[in-house]
Parts: sequence; C-alpha cells; structure tokens
Amino acid sequence: MSVLVLAVPAKGRLQENAEAFFARAGLELVKPRGARDYRGGIKRLDSVEVAFLSAAEITEQLAAGAVHFGITGEDLVREMIPEANRKVVLLDGLGFGYANVVVAVPEAWIDVRDMADLDDVAISFRVRHDRRLRVATKYMHLTRGFFSRHGIIDYRIVESAGATEGAPAAGIAELIVDITTTGTTLAANGLRVIDDGVILRSQANLVAARGAAWGKTELETARLILDRIAAHARARLFREVRTQFAGCNDALLGLAKDMFGVLTPFGGPTSSGMLTLHCPPDAVHDLASFLREHGADTVIVAQIDYVFSRHNPLFAKLAAAV
Amino acid sequence: MNSAPSFDVHKRADSLVAAFARAGYTRVSPAILQPAEPFFDLSGEDMRRHMYLVTDTAGREFCLRPDLTIPVARDYLASATAPQRASFCYLGPVFRDSGITSGEFLQAGIESFGRPDTAAADAEALALGIEATAHYGLPAPRIVIGDVALFSALITALDLAPAWKRRLLKDFNRKATLAQDLERLTLAGRQNRSEYQGVLAALANANPKAAQALVTDLLSIAGKSAVGGRSIGEIADRFVEQAELGASSALPSETCALIGRFLAVAGTPCKAAAALRALAAEARVALGPALELFESRIGALAGRGVDVDRIEFATAFGRGVDYYTGFVFELHDPAALVDGQLVAGGRYDGLLTRLGSPQPVAAVGFAVWIERLAALAANIEKEQ
Repeated sequence: MSVLVLAVPAKGRLQENAEAFFARAGLELVKPRGARDYRGGIKRLDSVEVAFLSAAEITEQLAAGAVHFGITGEDLVREMIPEANRKVVLLDGLGFGYANVVVAVPEAWIDVRDMADLDDVAISFRVRHDRRLRVATKYMHLTRGFFSRHGIIDYRIVESAGATEGAPAAGIAELIVDITTTGTTLAANGLRVIDDGVILRSQANLVAARGAAWGKTELETARLILDRIAAHARARLFREVRTQFAGCNDALLGLAKDMFGVLTPFGGPTSSGMLTLHCPPDAVHDLASFLREHGADTVIVAQIDYVFSRHNPLFAKLAAAV
Repeated sequence: MNSAPSFDVHKRADSLVAAFARAGYTRVSPAILQPAEPFFDLSGEDMRRHMYLVTDTAGREFCLRPDLTIPVARDYLASATAPQRASFCYLGPVFRDSGITSGEFLQAGIESFGRPDTAAADAEALALGIEATAHYGLPAPRIVIGDVALFSALITALDLAPAWKRRLLKDFNRKATLAQDLERLTLAGRQNRSEYQGVLAALANANPKAAQALVTDLLSIAGKSAVGGRSIGEIADRFVEQAELGASSALPSETCALIGRFLAVAGTPCKAAAALRALAAEARVALGPALELFESRIGALAGRGVDVDRIEFATAFGRGVDYYTGFVFELHDPAALVDGQLVAGGRYDGLLTRLGSPQPVAAVGFAVWIERLAALAANIEKEQ
C-alpha cells in the first residue's frame, strides 16, 4: 500500500506545538514503539507514516520529495531551498513558531536607521578600513537576496553556526542577520534591528513537496488529513450562535453580516424560525445584543470543534500544485 | 557545455593563446585551487554564490578559480617583476556554479600590468579582443564600450554631499538603484526620517569639529562601546555628516536632469565625445582628464586599425563588476545566435592595491569565452 509520509519536528517547542496542532485537528500522532522512536503514525489512519526529524532535515526532505508533508519554518524553506516555490507549496501558516529574520547592528551605530544608511556605511567602511563590512549569519541566501534588493554590495558574509548575536562583540563581524522572536537576545548583546531590516516574518508552516510520489492513494490520504485541518482551522475562527425568533428576515441577516461578519452555514432561518450563525469570537457579545434587540428571546453561543465543508481550500491548493 | 571541451576546441584555443604570446604576452598557468579570501573581498557576494568552495583540514577556505584575473594578478604581485611592466596571457578552465549547465568552462585572456600609456594599452586590449573573435571566423563582432571614469568625473565635479557621491558612484553598476537614488535625491533630500531630526538640524549649523566631539562624548556617557569594528569617532563623523546632509536641501532638479542627460549620451565614440564636451560646457562642469583620455583612446583605437564608427558607446554602460575603474568593453555575436559576451574586459587600476601592492599598478585585460566562440564558429561553418 502507498503510504503518505508526514515529517514532524523531533524535538523541543516545535514538536510540542506540532503535536498539539495535529491533536486539535483530530489527528493524534502515535509512537507505537515508544517515545524514543523516530517513526510513528496517526491513530486510526493506517495510510500515514510519521517521520520525526529536525526542522532542517524536514526542509531537505521536502525539497528532495522524500516526504509528502512536513512541518517546518518558512525561514528554513526560503533559506535552504533554491527557487522554493518550484519545489514545495506552503499550504498554511500554523500560528506557532513565530520568528523574524532581521538585520541587526550595534546600538552604538546611532547614524544607522535604515538600509540606505547601512549601504552608505558599507561603502565608507570599505574605503576607511580597506576591507568589507562583515555580516555574520546562517541565512546566507536570504541575506544576499535582501542586500542585493537594497543595492548593498560592499559587504561579505561570515558563516555562523550558532550564537550569531555574539559575533559583533567577539570581533568576528560588524553586524548580523539572525532570527528573533522578542528581540531580548539582540538587546542583551547590544544590537538593534534596522527600521526596514525585517527580511522575513516567519512561522511554522504545513508544507507539501511537489516532487513526492503523489499517487491516487497518497492524494486520498492527503485529502483526509487536510479535510480535518481545514475543518479545525475554520472552526477556530468562529463561534456558533443559535437562536429562534419570528421577526428574522433576509434584511436583518444582511445587516448582521455587514455589522459583525457573520456567516450563515445553513442559509436563512428554517420554517420554525431556527437560525444558526457563525460569528467571529470578538463580535459574539455585540451580535447577541443585536439579536435580542430585534426580537430574539434566547441566544446560545458555543465553541465549535470542526466545520467540514465540501470545498477544501487546502486540498485545492495541493491538487493545483502536484 | 555539459561535457568536457573536446580536443579540437582545446587545440583552436591553444593557437589563439599562442598568438597572444607572439604579441608579447607571457603565457602563465595559475593554480586552479585558489585561496577563497581574495575573491570574497574583491568580487563580492554576487560572485561567491557561484563559487565552488572547499575547506582544508586546518579550516582554510579554498575555491576552484571562478576567473583568472585575480589569480594572474596575485602571481604577478608575488613575483620579482612587480611593480614593473608585465603582460600575461592564459588559457584554462574556470568554475562557476550556474545551477543548470556544467560549472566548468574554458577561458583564455590577457592581463597587462604597469603600462603608463593608458590609451594605447586600452586600445591594444580591445584590438586583441577583436583578434580573438576573428580567430573564430568573426572579424567584425558587435563592439560595446563604456568608460566608468567619465561617470566618476561627472559626480566628482558636481556640488553634492560626499555621502551622496559615494552612493551614486557605487550605484553606477546597478542601474535600478541608481534611478531610485536619483529620485530620492531630487524629491525629498532626507526629510523627516530620523528620530534625531531635531538634533541633526541643530548640529548642522555647528562647527563640525565641536559637533563631532559632542556626539563622541554623548556616546561615551551612554556607555555605548564600539563594537563591530567601527570606532565611536567614526560613528560620530557620519552622524554629523548626516546632519549636514539633512540641512542641505534636495538635489536641484537641474543637477538631476544633468545626470540624466549625461547617462543618455550614446552612439559612436566620436559623436559621444562631442556631445559630452557640449554638455560639460553648457553645465559648466569639468570632465577634465577623463574626457581627454576618452578622446585619445579613440585615436589609439583608430591607429590600431579598429573601425571606430562601428563601436557602440554608452555612458551608462558598465559591466556590473565593481573593480573596473575606466575603459570597459564587450564583444558580441552580431547575429545574437550565441548568448552573452564572447570577449569582455576593461581597466581595473585599483585591483592590485586591493590585493596588497604597496604602490598603485595600472592594469587592463580581458577574458575570452572559449565555448561560446566555438559554438559561434560551428554556426558560421554550418552556413558556409
């Protein structure tokens, strides 16, 4: 039988978040041979094999088409895969693993606010010191692309394996390109992000490999997985609001749609006046007041777990790409 | 280009280089494995992404040579000949990762060091380049030339803040950014962009030395130490310079228009020279020695038997490599059946100093793309 391979981060916060994400979508990751095993599956979905790998390995395997789906950061995809859009499809941002890839300079560089300043400093630095400004980073590809878009040429990259933010203080480089979530580590090392120096706003993504073996079975399995993920993603964005009153009509529904952004998954009220609405969480209380002002006696609001619909935007994206 | 060049391709290239040798160029064969550092420093990140890099057990980085100009120049500097006049020719593989075709291809070429007769040396390089295409059955290639020194002369002569001069000169090889910078210069200057705007404005009217001292003191009081290789004094210098930049109003639109008109000058070298003289006189800027050299080069080219009216010159033409300092040229297939330049080169007077020469050494040279010329010759022979 043709198995769909899903690659999931093997360690740390990214693993916990990824497992929680799949669990919420009704896809429970299991390791039948114990927690130390690097192969697993999804409960009650035999046609899936789960490979637990590092985020960098996942990215490589996606580029090579050796796995079908993977969870990895967009930063790694853009950095490690040349012409990434030809090799993989970013199906959806998962709402965790947020991090920005940024250009950061020493705080003492009060004359450098934006990339144009940095360009000017790079030129004069070369004239004054007879060498190029050094940029420490592990994001060589992203750095080159971004610097080139800003016309900066008088620099060179110093490859950094880890603790990049320490490079300027260590005298290895003048500035850095690195990933940051809160900026605390940068500040602790006396560094500051340049105003227009955000290269990429990254988060964990569900990524599909264009080059994987997409047979009929794998596609069918992918549809099942994406169906649950999409159903859960849609459910997260809404609360279900139910009510019943005679005075409800299309004009009133139209007004509610405009004012609160509600959806009517089953159309207008039934013959008995029952109405089901999907409402963005922020607008729930205003909507409840609105409905009662217009004649409803009781309004029930509930969290929803899934909204399954015939149209699956995630699968459509995948099907278009492979 | 997916397989190694055939025996015939080698043989024909070999006889081309023999002709360079007869013209007084000493044949050299620099090492294929080169220290990577000079290429990182001189060719920049744009070249680095195409380099094949290896690290030895001691952690030193080497590369398969991506061109021969830097290796030939390094060997010359290490020899007893430097900084005396010397001329070299070469033939051998160079390596650039293009992601698609094989990364190994053949280049021949010449490099000439230490000649004081600039115009004659430039003309000789172009004439030998044409000999190279003639060797492959194309005696009249399309000739495209430019002169980086003319743009430098114009910018130097203009009344512009030093920071803007630096940027425009660097941007010359990247026309997209040049246009952006010109627009920015004309439109806004640099208004309202810094949170220190008020301070900058106050400093603009102060004595530069006093302002520099104040900023240095402030940074020291704040406990900001110099990290990342720029001293506090250096930072203060530029901070004060920015203040002056902000205070001076935007670039006058007539100056911007002048740069635009200058960059639009194109045509045969003689007509272009006349146009540049007229433009310089009208705008009262002195292009001085740069324009004189340009004109004497035309004479030297004609003296070499090059039909100068077939040359396409443009002030905006640059080769996208920032070590060129003057004359640059490219020879192309007039039928455009073969993509890319067949022969390309120019003057790079600053390179040897950057490679560590204690005194400046004049340098001019070119590289010949052997596989392209072999493909061109095959096309020509098929037609006959």
